[in-house]
Amino acid sequence: MSQLYRLNKDGYINRDKKISFVFNGKKYFGYEGDTLASALLANGVHLIGRSYKYHRPRGLFGAGVDEPNAKVQLYRGTETEPNANVTEVELVEGLVAKSQNCWPSVYFDFGAINNFLNKFFPAGFYYKTFMWPKNFWYKVYEPIIRKIAGLGVAPLTPDKDRYEHKYEHCDVLVVGSGPSGLGSALSAGKNGARVILAEDKPRFGGSLLTDEVTIGNKKGNEWANEVILQLKSMPNVTVKNRSQVFGYYDHNMMVMFERTKDHVENPKKFTPRQRLWYIRAKEIIISTGSIERPLVFANNDRPGILLASAAKEYMKVYGVLVGNKPIIFTNNDSAYETAIEFKKNGINPIIVDTRESSDNSVVKEAKNLNIEIKFSCGLANTRGYRRVNLATIGKFNSDKSGYEKLENISCDCVCVSGNWTPTIHLSSQSGNKLKYNDALNAFIPNQQKQNETTIGSAKGSMTLKQSLEEGFSKGFELSNKITNNNLKNTAPTSNERNYGQHDKFWCMPLPKKKNYKRFVDFQNDVAVSDIELAIREGFRSIEHIKRYTTLGMATDQGKTSNLNGLQLVSNIERKIVPEVGHTTFRPPYTPVTIGTIVGREVGKHYRPTRKSPMHEWHEKNNAVFVDAGLWLRPRYYKQEKETLLEASTREAINVRKNVGVCDVTSLGKIDIKGPDSAEFLNRVYTNAWMKLPIGKARYGVMLREDGIVFDDGTTTRIAENHYHMTTTTAQAVNVLAHLEYYLQVVWSELNVNVVSTTEQWAGAALAGPNSRNLLSKLFPENDVSNENFPFMGYMESELFGVPARIFRISFSGELAYEINVQSSYGIFMWEKIIELGQEMNIEPYGTEALSTLRIEMGHVAGSEIDGRTISYDLSLEGMLSKKKDFIGKRSLIREAFTNPKREKIVGLIPLDQKTMIPEGSHLVKDGNATLPNPKLGHVSASCWSAEYNNPFSLAILQDGKNKIGEKLFAVSPLKNRNIAVEVVSSHYVDPKGERVRS
Amino acid sequence: MQRYSIFSLIKNAFSNHENWDVAWKDPEPKKEYDVVIVGGGGHGLATAYYLAKEHSITNVAILEKGWIGGGNVGRNTTILRSNYMWDANGLFYEYGMKLWENLSQELNYNVMYSPRGVINLAHSDAQLNTFARRGNSMRLNGIDAVMLNREELKKMIPFADFSSARFPIFGGLMQPRGGTARHDAVAWGYARGADSMGVDIIQHCEVTGFNVQNGKIQGVQTTRGNIKTKKIGLCVAGNTSLLAAKLDMKLPIESHVLQACVSEPVKPFLDHVVTFGAGHFYCSQSDKGEMVMGGDLDGYNSYAQRGNLPTLQHVLSEGLAMFPNISRLKMLRTWGGIMDMSMDGSPIIDKTHIEGVYLNCGWCYGGFKATPVSGWTFAYTIAQDRLHELNSKFKLNRFNTGHLIDEKGTATKVWLG
Amino acid sequence: MLEIKCPYCGKRSQNEFSYGGDANLKRPELGKEVSDKVWDDFVYYRSNPKGKHSELWHHVSGCRQWFKVSRNTATHEIFKTSKLDEEL
Repeated sequence: MSQLYRLNKDGYINRDKKISFVFNGKKYFGYEGDTLASALLANGVHLIGRSYKYHRPRGLFGAGVDEPNAKVQLYRGTETEPNANVTEVELVEGLVAKSQNCWPSVYFDFGAINNFLNKFFPAGFYYKTFMWPKNFWYKVYEPIIRKIAGLGVAPLTPDKDRYEHKYEHCDVLVVGSGPSGLGSALSAGKNGARVILAEDKPRFGGSLLTDEVTIGNKKGNEWANEVILQLKSMPNVTVKNRSQVFGYYDHNMMVMFERTKDHVENPKKFTPRQRLWYIRAKEIIISTGSIERPLVFANNDRPGILLASAAKEYMKVYGVLVGNKPIIFTNNDSAYETAIEFKKNGINPIIVDTRESSDNSVVKEAKNLNIEIKFSCGLANTRGYRRVNLATIGKFNSDKSGYEKLENISCDCVCVSGNWTPTIHLSSQSGNKLKYNDALNAFIPNQQKQNETTIGSAKGSMTLKQSLEEGFSKGFELSNKITNNNLKNTAPTSNERNYGQHDKFWCMPLPKKKNYKRFVDFQNDVAVSDIELAIREGFRSIEHIKRYTTLGMATDQGKTSNLNGLQLVSNIERKIVPEVGHTTFRPPYTPVTIGTIVGREVGKHYRPTRKSPMHEWHEKNNAVFVDAGLWLRPRYYKQEKETLLEASTREAINVRKNVGVCDVTSLGKIDIKGPDSAEFLNRVYTNAWMKLPIGKARYGVMLREDGIVFDDGTTTRIAENHYHMTTTTAQAVNVLAHLEYYLQVVWSELNVNVVSTTEQWAGAALAGPNSRNLLSKLFPENDVSNENFPFMGYMESELFGVPARIFRISFSGELAYEINVQSSYGIFMWEKIIELGQEMNIEPYGTEALSTLRIEMGHVAGSEIDGRTISYDLSLEGMLSKKKDFIGKRSLIREAFTNPKREKIVGLIPLDQKTMIPEGSHLVKDGNATLPNPKLGHVSASCWSAEYNNPFSLAILQDGKNKIGEKLFAVSPLKNRNIAVEVVSSHYVDPKGERVRS
Repeated sequence: MQRYSIFSLIKNAFSNHENWDVAWKDPEPKKEYDVVIVGGGGHGLATAYYLAKEHSITNVAILEKGWIGGGNVGRNTTILRSNYMWDANGLFYEYGMKLWENLSQELNYNVMYSPRGVINLAHSDAQLNTFARRGNSMRLNGIDAVMLNREELKKMIPFADFSSARFPIFGGLMQPRGGTARHDAVAWGYARGADSMGVDIIQHCEVTGFNVQNGKIQGVQTTRGNIKTKKIGLCVAGNTSLLAAKLDMKLPIESHVLQACVSEPVKPFLDHVVTFGAGHFYCSQSDKGEMVMGGDLDGYNSYAQRGNLPTLQHVLSEGLAMFPNISRLKMLRTWGGIMDMSMDGSPIIDKTHIEGVYLNCGWCYGGFKATPVSGWTFAYTIAQDRLHELNSKFKLNRFNTGHLIDEKGTATKVWLG
Repeated sequence: MLEIKCPYCGKRSQNEFSYGGDANLKRPELGKEVSDKVWDDFVYYRSNPKGKHSELWHHVSGCRQWFKVSRNTATHEIFKTSKLDEEL
């Protein structure tokens, strides 16, 4: 199909390169440099989608990020994107787009029934109904409403694209490349500052791309082009297009996304789709320009009705006519530019101006071109379902409350202009409290809060001359604060048409006895009557009105609607706009792809994976891994078709019978040095540390200041003033910060240093009756007899030439040792252990067997030290020193902590000796009692005892101390279990702890 | 009160909706009230409503410094649940769920209670066990809870990452009756209900001081004059410490900002509320189609109702770890709310050492779902001058006695706030 | 994202640091009898001001030093940072 509305001149598109695309199943052509919007318009397509609530036909309204209507479902290869803004989608070969929120098609949409019933759906109607019968909201009404709502369709498969992040610093960040932005970037750059210039659109220049102006002796667009080339040649300046600065965060942290892929026809494999820039700038120049405001009138939402500035942009940038029979409807001079542009292209527009007259130069020029102008008129209504085809023009009565006479004029587009709204989003996000400018009828920035400076039309300086002057002078001034180079540049002279004051009249009266919708927010279908209703019902704060009517809450975030809404409220309430106030501007300025915000932390890279140096060995030996914090640890080593329970029981039995080896690298390790180390440990742990001899280890428990158990582990005295502390895997990071806090903040008088050595040591635990025999094979030159190397002993040696630390400590309750070597020798150590252990039937064991071993020994771990238990509960009260003070001790005397009936750790055995008690079960007197059934305690850990070949569990039980021997029920309603159990001691195996000392 | 129904809606449609009454009035403050509620948020409005409804105390004023419903009741992620482990919380919130179930009818205002199920995903057997402990506790308290395995979850949320996740999904705990409600409607519904029974809702009226004599409250000073009263209830979560300071009270509370965000609306694909167990992310899809998402605190004391992007980046990375398909959706709106972070993560609803001053605070992240039951119990406490069984554990002095209610086991470390 | 000047390393972005709460909290002296009130105030009670707040930060992804920051909790403006033994 040919591009009927394409002019044969003008625009920055590449007419040599034709691009095909598909919209709603039909193939069209555009040119390289088109947006999807301009290409559709070139083909005469205005109807793009349906509105949110009433499913009214909607077309293109703007040409940029302010577009409220034209959102489509986009398909590129295998990926799809909902709610793509057609004014921002650059045309590439093979693009497929579809209208959304309509069924079966955008031309005929069943949802449009809502439009005929719109009388029954005013603002907030859903709060007033759907309440009967009670369950129908969730079962009937809500599912229907959910289906009707929503716009596009979310992909249901993972995004294959890649997103990247970049961190950057600069002296001056300039946001927006219109005349003021270009001027300031050039001026700051020439003064030696490190400058980043960011432009949201593919093309630099802003209004210079469309305005008939001259700067120096050049046309505006040529000047912009030259400045950009100049900036690009400067090593201290970075120029970025397709880059939207969307957030102004604390301490001048600006965040920007750059579109790097979707506009490229054949992107390279690893090209990221978008890049997120975190930019810390010393000075921020906000030259974001302004957005044209719509006028509000009956049926102002039809396809073909659009902003005058957008119509001009389509002509000037893309060489596209938005129609052949245009009506320009305005309350100000700027829209005359659009009319003149039409005229130049051989089209005869009619201007409808709400003002009585205007004689500024641009108006005179229009008159000279014989353009028909109807002053003191407004659009009273429009017609045309899928595209506007008729406008009812009304001559105002004297107070503009109605029309003296109406006249129908056929048309195929209406270009509206209700004056300009400065884009103050970033300025406001910086903390700047905005002020109202009466001349503009808009908010502009006020007192600076951070290092932000707003210039040009974003600040309300609406002429080119002002914009250039502000740009050049602020660019110099702000850069000079940093560089002190004093290289001043002054703004070039410029020439532009003059505009006068706009008419502060923007909401047209309805024709007599008519109830047409006059839309303020197009996408969310918020009409004047909705705002009137909200106020009538007492929703008077602007935030209430926004929430009740959903004004400004659509995907365009009210860029074209917010101010009109405010003005309407101020009119109804007879207040001035600043008294009504405005809703808060928050990031993001435009919607940001979630993948872009996240970057590369996706899939397996969501968080780092920590692996021990022996990881590959575990993999080769069929280890099944478990996440332990960021670490991957072998849970069990699977043989043939074993289940988890079979494998872990096998491994645990082998430890009890022979010897096993377990990778304990992930345990936290902290090196402690300094003359006050013993004193420090004495304060940190609940037990005594002053007399620990060199070469000995000791088990310790630490509390939080609130008395709750924080962590446990062993600490070994390696030398006079040198200790090696171990922590649990889970708390390693927190314990280090905890120690640093006390050493630096609380007890700075202590001369102690701590440093994490977790990654420096690979650890292997040998456990089982054969472990000493194996140790002697590993260290043939050392005497590892019980006498020479007793329980809690420590020695340093060499493992076949590799320096090693050997600890005689045990978590399994068996005779056990832990060997540490430098990480890089971890695999060497491990393989030696396996090799020499063969004759003793060594088997590696994982965390599940480890868990079994510790449970039946009654050793506590993470499932008991759960941040809610105190030493007493865990039967660790014997380790609370009475002689000294320590962290958290003072909290232990509180009422709840000294209650003699407090919880206590106990063991449980099912009466049938067979049924495993699910972890997370609760203990009750009567498993079948009525609810709520009082709980006496809970099952914290369960295992199949390797020693006794029956189930055994640990539980934390109220008054557990006095309940040994009692029969209770362990219930798990979730699993429908009710198991009769006997309460026994938590030390099920080797209660006297003889094995570890044997 | 003008009743809302489909019939009144149709009737009013024919008069162009020009005959609707105001939802609540805008009165001038009187000189004296029986009870003054400070804070026109969800909890304050609900408290006033139940004072009038349950205790026939109607000479009540709600003083709101801004506009009602502008605090946390209007800036949350709308989740309702009672999936708590400790009895003190479980029974309290469960009573709240029962109030939610009838709230639209009770208030004659559609609060859109949607029991779509709240699913907590677990990413290890150990986590499943801690969830089992909680779920079993719920069941023994008569609260609904079910365990879901991977296969069941695959049917419910097939787009979640079941194949290449860093922390694979092992299963989940679901409270089927948990769900969402329309947050603004809750505030407005209570406001309309309270107003209709005679409560004065006074907006743009900031409390600047208190008159206390001989340990008894006599009245409040406000930006709109002095108001006498013998009873005053503080419902100003986020700013409780500031008002308490005017009463020379220090509280076990820090104010922190919690951010949330929504995506652009899309057609429905997520029918439940789902939380990510290997992080703090939670999300649901609103009736409008927006993904409503939240996560973790920004991490430092804050009274600014806005946060910083790295926290959102972190939270959304958790979101993509759970639902990798939402990567191409766009984040539309972000906001922050100021949380009263109490030191054990549970609220305080109690009397104070000043006669006639009642405290309702410390809601942490969970205040929205508590709105009805918080108002209900607080109204009881104010009216009867004693605690109800349901809030009997939410005493201020539990921080002195050690009877803490720590759901997560992560309570205060002095240096971690 | 805040920009915090570590007194040892210089200005860094907030994501290198972790927060440590009220810097005015004084841990009661070890081994000394203190009243319940003094102890509970230390463990649980916070002044939590809106406005100027002296607080601790920890340069966890840097020099691992704790230090003091004076910050406005309403605007996040940072007035000053100092080493622990210096006046803020």
